[in-house]
Formats: sequence, C-alpha cells, structure tokens
Amino acid sequence: MKLTHLAFAATLAGATALTAQSALADVKVGLLGGVSGPIAAMAPPMLDAAQLAFQQVNDQGGILGGQSIEAVVGDSACNPQNGVDSATKLVNVEQVIGLVGPHCSGAVLAVANSVSVPAGVTLLTPSGTSPEITGLQDNDTVMRTVPSDDYQGRALARALLERGTSKVAVAYLNNDYGTGLAESFKDEFEANGGAVAGYAAHEEGKASYRSNLAELSRGGADTLVIFDYGDGTGLTILRQALENGFFENFVGGDGMKSEAVINELGAENLTTFVASSPVGTASTSLDLFRDAFTNVGGDPDAIFVTTSYDAGFLMALAIEKAGGDKAGIATALREVSNGEGEPILPGEWEKAVGLIAEGTAIDYKGASGDLDFDENGDVPGAYALFEVSEDTFKSIGEIK
Amino acid sequence: MELIGLANYAVYMAIFIGIYAILALGLNIQWGFTGLFNAGIAGFFAVGAYASSVFTSPAADGRLGGYDLPIVVGWIGAMVCAALIAWPIGKVCLRFRSDYLAIATIGVAEIIRLVVKSEGWMTGGARGINNVPRPFGELPYFQSQLAYLALIIAVVGLVYFLVERQIKAPWGRMMRAIRDNEAAAAAMGKDIEQRRLEAFVFGAALMGLGGALFAHFNRSITPEAIDPMVATFLIWIMLILGGSGNNRGAILGVAVVWIIWSMSELVTDQLPQEYAIKAKYMRIFIIGLMLQLVLRFRPEGILPEPDYSNHEKKKKVPDANKASDASAAE
Amino acid sequence: MTFMDLINFYFVPGVVLGSIYALGAVGITLVFGILRFAHLAHGDLATFGAFAALAFVTALGVSVWVALPLAMVAAGAVAIGLDRYFYDYLRERPKILTVMASLGIALMLRAIVQVFWGVDTETYTRGIVRPESYWGLRIRDRELYTFVAMFAIVGVLWVFLQNTKWGKAMRAMSDNPDLALLSGVDNRKVTMLTWAIVGMLCAAAGFFLGLNTELKALMGWTMLLPMFAAAILGGVGRVEGAVIGGLIIGVVEEMSVLVIPSEYKAALAFAILLLILLVRPTGLLKGKVL
Repeated sequence: MKLTHLAFAATLAGATALTAQSALADVKVGLLGGVSGPIAAMAPPMLDAAQLAFQQVNDQGGILGGQSIEAVVGDSACNPQNGVDSATKLVNVEQVIGLVGPHCSGAVLAVANSVSVPAGVTLLTPSGTSPEITGLQDNDTVMRTVPSDDYQGRALARALLERGTSKVAVAYLNNDYGTGLAESFKDEFEANGGAVAGYAAHEEGKASYRSNLAELSRGGADTLVIFDYGDGTGLTILRQALENGFFENFVGGDGMKSEAVINELGAENLTTFVASSPVGTASTSLDLFRDAFTNVGGDPDAIFVTTSYDAGFLMALAIEKAGGDKAGIATALREVSNGEGEPILPGEWEKAVGLIAEGTAIDYKGASGDLDFDENGDVPGAYALFEVSEDTFKSIGEIK
Repeated sequence: MELIGLANYAVYMAIFIGIYAILALGLNIQWGFTGLFNAGIAGFFAVGAYASSVFTSPAADGRLGGYDLPIVVGWIGAMVCAALIAWPIGKVCLRFRSDYLAIATIGVAEIIRLVVKSEGWMTGGARGINNVPRPFGELPYFQSQLAYLALIIAVVGLVYFLVERQIKAPWGRMMRAIRDNEAAAAAMGKDIEQRRLEAFVFGAALMGLGGALFAHFNRSITPEAIDPMVATFLIWIMLILGGSGNNRGAILGVAVVWIIWSMSELVTDQLPQEYAIKAKYMRIFIIGLMLQLVLRFRPEGILPEPDYSNHEKKKKVPDANKASDASAAE
Repeated sequence: MTFMDLINFYFVPGVVLGSIYALGAVGITLVFGILRFAHLAHGDLATFGAFAALAFVTALGVSVWVALPLAMVAAGAVAIGLDRYFYDYLRERPKILTVMASLGIALMLRAIVQVFWGVDTETYTRGIVRPESYWGLRIRDRELYTFVAMFAIVGVLWVFLQNTKWGKAMRAMSDNPDLALLSGVDNRKVTMLTWAIVGMLCAAAGFFLGLNTELKALMGWTMLLPMFAAAILGGVGRVEGAVIGGLIIGVVEEMSVLVIPSEYKAALAFAILLLILLVRPTGLLKGKVL
C-alpha cells in the first residue's frame, strides 16, 4: 500500500506549503461554525458577530501589545465528522490559541472529546445548548456563552403563567435545542399549574406541518409555543399556523426571535407573537452591540449573534489576560467575567487592556448577559420577552 | 509551523481513514463482490455506534447504559447488533433488485435514524451519548491519537485479512459467480438467496464495527453523525472511486476522497478574510468537481478489480457487464 | 374532529405536498426509465430552479407566474449542460458511476446556489395568505394552483409522450433501448430531450415547494428521499405511477400524524413503500425491473 503512504506524504507537504502564508497573523483564534449543512442560514451572521469583536480589538490597538488577532474560519457542517476534521486542522495546522465554536452540540461534544480537551485548547461555544456539554470531562476548558436550554425553558414557562396563559400546545424541533427547551418548559409549566394540551416533536425540512398543527390544536389551547429556528422549520410552522388560524397566540424561544420571521411574514401579521431571548442586566450592553453590529452591516436580531459576539470578545479578553499563554486561557476566561471588578461593556477593548495592564480585575458585561461562568463553564441566563413592533423586536420586560 | 501539529493532523487523518476504510470494506462485500446496492450504510453505522456506546459507557439518567463493559465487548456487541438488525432487513429486502433495494435500504436507514433521535429512553435521543470510553484516552494528545491509530490499523488489518480470505475462498468465488451471472449460478444449484443474505449481514457487521470505532474515537455519538451525506453517500463515493471489487482499492479510495475532502478546506482558507464564509461553499463545489475529474480520468476506479480466477483461458468478465447485471439485468 | 376538519387539515395539505412530490417523482422516473440511473442531483436541481425563479422575480420584477416558465427553461438548459459535460462520457460505463457523478453534481449545484443567492431563507412574496373557504373547503389559491399546475404539466407531458414523434421515441428508449436504436431513434437527441424535460420538471417542483413554504439552500436535498420513494412506489418508468406515488406519499405523511408520533412522519413514507414493495415488487403500476 505504498500509494497510501504517498498520499499521506502529499497531505503533509501540501499542508505545509499552504499554511506558510497564513502563519503571518500574530494571534490566531479558530472560529468554527456550521457554515454548510442544516444551519447554513444561521451560521454567517454568527460568524460575522464574532468577527466584529476581533475587528474592534484590532481597531483599538490590537492584542498583546499591538499584535493583530485573526480568526480562522472552519466549517463544522453541524456534524461530528466535519467538526472534528475542521477542529483538528485549526488546532494543529493553523495552531489557533483558542476555539470559538462549534455551533452544534453534537460537534461540540466530538470536538471537545477528541481535539480541544486533549490538546489543551479552550473551547467557547456560542450556541451548543445540550445539557450533555455540562457533563463533559473537560479539565475546565469547555465553556459556553449560551445558557443551557434548561434556564430559558423554565423562565419562559413561569413568564407565560404570570401573563395569564395557563393552557398551551408545544411544537418543538427534534434536535438537542428543541428537545432541551421543550422538556424543561413542560416540566416547569405543569409543575406550576399550567396545562400542556399538545406536545409534539417534528422533523426539519418538511414542506407541510399543517397536520401536526391540527393535531396540536385539538387539545383546545389557543397559544402555541414553538421551540425551533425562525429562519428554518420554525418559520414554516409559524406561517402555516397563522394562515390556517390554528392558534391565536404564538410564543417562541430565542431561536424564533429572528429577523427572517418579520421579513417573510410581515410585522402586521405578528401582533400576537412574543419570543424570549437572553439579555444582559446592564441594558446598555445590548445597545452598544446593536449599534456596532448594525454599523458593519450585520443584523443584530439574527439568532445567537449576541452570544457569538460575546464569545469572540471574551476570548480576546482572556487571551490578553493570560498574556497569550494557551494553557492559561480557560482560567483567564473566568477571571474576566466572574461578576467582580471594573465592568467592561461590549467594544470597550482599550479600557479593558489598560485595566488588565494595571492588574485591576475586570468583569465583562456582555450583550447576551453578564456571563458569569459557573463551575461547569455554563452561564446562568437572563431573559426578556420581545414582541414585534414596527418591523423589529422590542423588549416588553424581563422574565425570571 | 510546528511539526508536531502536522503530525497530529496526519495521525488524525489516518485514524479517520481507518474508520471509514472498515465501512468501505463492508460495502465492498455487499456491492463490490455481491452486487447488493445497499444505500443504508448510515443505519448500520448508527446501530454499531450506539450499541457499543450503550454497552461501555457509564450510567446516565434517562437512557439505557451503565453496563461499563470492556471496550472489546462493546465492539463485538456492535457487530452482533448490526448483524442482528441486518438479518431481518436482508431477509425482506434482498428479494428487491438493485435500485429498489437501494431505496428500501435508504428507507430503513432513515427509520433507524428517526428511532435513534426520538427514543430517548434507549439512545439519549437528540442529546446523544457522551463519556464513551476511548482506549488509551488518558494519554496525552499525540500519544493517545497514535495509540488509537495503532489499534485502528490492527483492526483494519484483521478485517482486510478476513475479507480477502473469504473472497478467495470458495465462498467468494460463488459470490462473484452469482453477481456476474445469477442464472448460471442458480442452475448450478447454488442457494443464491442464502449467500446474498450472508454477504449482506457480513458487510453490515463491519459497518457496525466502523460505527463503534467512530463513537469511541469521539467519546460521544449524536444523531448528527448519522446524516446520509457523511455516513452513506460519502462511503459510496470512496468505494467507487477507489475501485469496487478490490479491497485495496476501497481503502485507497477512502484515503484519496478524505484527503480531498479535508485538504480542500486548507486550500479555500487561502482566500482573503472577507470571503471566509463563501470559501466554505466553494469548497463544497471543489469537492464535487474533484469527484467529476476522478470519474472522468479513472472511471474504473483507482485500482480496478483484480482477476481472481487462476485460469488464463477463462475470459475475464468486463466491468460493464458486471454492473449492468446488477443494475439492468433481466 | 369533523369530517371537514379531516379534509381541510389533513387531506388537502397532503394533496398539495403530494403534488410537489409528484412533479419531482415524474422527473426521477423519466431518468430511471430512459437513462437507467438514480439521479441524486434531482433535489438540488429543483433548488436551483426555485432560486432561478426568485432571481427572475427580483431582477425583472415580473410576477411569479412569468418567472416559472423562465426558470423552467433555465433549469432545462442547465440539465442539458450537466448531461453534456458530466454524465454523457459515462454512458457506456456501469451506471453506478453516473449515480456517483450525480451526487457530485448535487454538491456543486448546492454550492452555486449558496454562493450566488446566499443562505438566507427567502420567499417569493412577503406576508401570509389566508385560505379561502369554498363551501367549507379551506384552500389557499396557491395550493389550488399547485394542484392544477401539477396536473397540467404532467398532462402536457403525457400527451407529448403518447402522441408526438419524439415522445414515442422516448418511450421506445424506455421500453427497449437496443430495439429503439435499431429502429432509427437518435439516442443523443432523445437523451437531450429527456434532460430538458427533467430540468423543467425539477424547476416546477422547486418552484411550487418554494411558493408553498420558503426557499432554502437545502430545500431540494431534504425532498429527495420522499421523491424517490414516490417514483419507486409508482413503478419505475411510469409517469402516471409517479403521480399516484407522489400523491399517496404526500397524503399518507400528513395523515400519519393521526396515528403515530409526529417525529415519525418521515418514516411512514418508507414504511408504506416497503410494504407495497413486498406485495408488488415492481411498484403499484407495473414498473421496470432495472
């Protein structure tokens, strides 16, 4: 099997030649996302948001004493095969110092287990919501800026009961995101006296969900809770529910708070639609991010862009704090966002660098929340409910 | 540029190629030697991956598990489970010819995928199974990968030896006879259905083993891993490009296709930053185009099927005949 | 649940879905019957057609009904080109190679859609359309158009195949290529014609899928398996069989929610297919055994 050996040699030689050029960047961070594959529509804004953080770093004097930070984008295609492949290249060939991503939980688990944890590279995912990530044996190097689905599902359940909705039907996407939210929502909603009159999972990518909706509406609820993505199947479901009048009120998780919903269905049809989404306690954080992201042509209402931006910015802060030491980044991540110290808001890179140089403790208050990591590397969520008003989403108050 | 990094990447590539080589060898038994169009590789891959994960992983709430069996038992269990699932499927589906069999097996694989995703009590549902033990997993990164690679090479070597022996044995001669001329084989009193079923189950067991090796390498298995593109069609491309009916060709095909697949990302990464995302779509285009080029210049596969018969005077069956028998006979 | 509810919420959506499946399945069955291979790029060609129609709507500002024939012509031309440059030279080779080539084409077409049109979810028209009520039957006009257009397109194809010289040549190729060749049928032209028709059918399937839901880069790929199931169910090479197969699978998928958990909706199409193949191994209408 000499040919096989030759092929390997070719791989090595090729990789060397190819990467010689990109080795010029000073500090490289891996940005791993599901660019192709089922979440292809969600990935680009998320990557752009993280890129915005790095751009701000470079615009404000750079990292580690004037070096530039560069993101190398990898395509996880939302599956473990491509995720591990891409992460291996980022960590070993591109020699990135930390990983932001992957986006999908399955890829996060595989990448953490077989690449990032063994290689001692810190992994910070902006959208891997599976509870399994909490239980990873990760030497404390796997963290996330998105809260586990559990928080949001429960908060939303309590908020709905408070608003006087006591009977709902739940339609959820049959993946880790949808199931996680739906399970915790149902649990909390029923424990507090609500009734779930319909509860059904659906597969993505089908052309019709009308029979699913008809079946859900038979329970007699007039409110439909959708745990899905607003630029994917969730949009189809919401459209078909609206068109056929199966339900009167619609509630979504953060995945449904998507510009696509307003663009495609029209704000005038969405008067009875509310969606929850994570927010920071320092309310200016979100506004700062919104302005900055709008300025570079981004859509601040796209799904998971706030958590992606925060992941990028936090990664940069941690690199600065750790002095560029790969092994120290995980610890530094906790130090720059543990609720104690001088508050740093999105975009305040220069200020942060100054404070780190002085040795003052800093505390990042992100666009998606305060992001104080717990011992598992998870963040507690703070959420608000949003309604559609004049072609955009407006907050109508926090939920707990 | 650190050499150890490149070595890590190369070792990872070799591990992945080894895992997919086992899948391709399994498919080679079914298609290459027997002419069974199994388009449901992902199903058997999933059965093996999940079976081994359930057998060997620590207990977890809400799903089967906690048996903590040795890894070898998990791997053998994966093969047995995949074979047990394949047997009734083969019993029912193998009476369909070629393309009908393909769509039937795709259907079975889809049903398996949906069961895996939806029956959380058994498989952890959409969450999947985490903390699957990996042999030599406690070693440092490079050593651990190298040790796993050694294990994979041993397994691939063993599988290769077994398959080659079977193919050169009377069993293999009979299989090729059935593939190339079913009527003649039947006239000679061969139990065609039984032989086909044997090949189908044997191939499926290997696919189950491949799934198990994959799950243990990633220490986790999730439904996202059993997508038809990466777990079925990719393996078909590998086998056909490598040379179906030739086990070395199958392994070589896996290596070539995966190198194209993986390295294409390094190529498109050379585009300027502002095209970073579009580059990923271009990469998919390049993969498709490379496939066309290989088909154009090596349509018979990189290594064509060797002449297994020892009789010089016996005319070798041309390739075209072989496949047209599988796809257009009668 | 009243009878009208059953019709409105389960049967009608099933028929609409089935009509889309049918358009795709007819194309698949033609490729199967005449060119004798499983065309895996079918779904992505449909995606391409749907996005081509979107391009005509946005660039020329024409109505969707003008964009449809334009997109059909565009997809037909692309299909001819694909055959010319990627499938043709594999014709004398084992058919499995062409199947693999079509898989590569599927990837390439998807990449082209993603590069040129991006990955955002799109629609032909903004807003929602509530159904009209016809004596208690709730149908949206675009659903009616989908159903009618499917029958019109397949009807025209049917008349073409039965009554014209080239249609008869295509059927002859499908029945017995050697005999057709001997009796003077121009193999090359028939192949080209087949691809033109297949491309047009793909565009129509993608267009109606997009009209009834949204346009996404993966929309065609996810429809591929049910479309294949429909083609096989109806009997390979049988146009009318593909229509029946498509409608059955569409209706069964929608109705299935009544009896099984909705996450298994997709599985039921295959379960039905397996059952029917067991009883009638050549599909509902007697199809070809390849």
